[in-house]
Amino acid sequence: MNIIGDVLKELGKMFVADLRLTLATLFSVVLVAAIMQQGWVDAAIAGLLLTLLCIAVLAEAILREVKKRKHR
Amino acid sequence: MPPEFWTIMFPAITATFLASIVEVVEAFTIVLAVGTTRGWKPAIAGTAAALGLLGLVVLILGPTLQYIPIRYLQLFVGVLLLIFGMGWLRKAVLRSAGVLPMHDETAAFTKETAGLQSQSGAPNTLQWIAGIAAFKAVLLEGLEVVFIVIAIGAGKGLLWEASLGALAACLLVLGVGAVIHKPLARVPENTLKFGVGVMLSSFGVFWAGEGLGVEWPGADLMLIVLSAVFLLVGMLLVRIASSKFRKVAA
Repeated sequence: MNIIGDVLKELGKMFVADLRLTLATLFSVVLVAAIMQQGWVDAAIAGLLLTLLCIAVLAEAILREVKKRKHR
Repeated sequence: MPPEFWTIMFPAITATFLASIVEVVEAFTIVLAVGTTRGWKPAIAGTAAALGLLGLVVLILGPTLQYIPIRYLQLFVGVLLLIFGMGWLRKAVLRSAGVLPMHDETAAFTKETAGLQSQSGAPNTLQWIAGIAAFKAVLLEGLEVVFIVIAIGAGKGLLWEASLGALAACLLVLGVGAVIHKPLARVPENTLKFGVGVMLSSFGVFWAGEGLGVEWPGADLMLIVLSAVFLLVGMLLVRIASSKFRKVAA
């Protein structure tokens, strides 16, 4: 039993079980940071934008999985 | 009671408590299989060793994070919580919608018991292998609890409170498990996972936002609004996913 290998695998699974969800979430945060940096939106609107982006990422991940499973 | 009790402390402790119940129930199934197949000595030894190691990780990593400037820490922890929380929410939504099968503790218990019974060797070797199986189960399931405790604890300096939430869940599950001596198959794991996913996603957005310099209207009260939003979105997504999946299956 390779316990260290299993621990590393578990840690990986915790954050990249769905790689596209992970990357899209990171992209959303970076995008909001860049928009704030440019001063295109004020600090309160940036929060709303971040929330909406995260919801969109979540919805896309769920609907993508549904689509994938229904073709099996 | 301080005003931040209901907006920060209560959700933080509840999230770690509920998340720990989900994980400890899964670990308990394996420990129970070890105990009933090879005796309670290796089961308890493996569990105690893993809990000790996990506690050590919290004790070392938790206070160390406090040296990182709060804004960077909130951004880092917020992003990790967001990824982790949305991962849990995604899985819980897909399970509720019938797209993914529910986690079955009884099946996990049967599989683990059969695996242990199929091994052969000297009694000492078998006990050692069983102890390692219990150790590994508690360690792997406990990793997610440790992450949640450290992340939530570090974000607002609630390490002890978050740890107590996790410890209470651990004692509750082990206590109930010791009395009924069966896999805890009736615990609504997916509902708990859904709730924790909602809470962690809300914490994630809130802290990632704070780390970026977002000024949330209502400050900490916004956490409650975010939780309500993620809850409603999650419930709506269950309906949409379920109808889309059923349409194809029909």
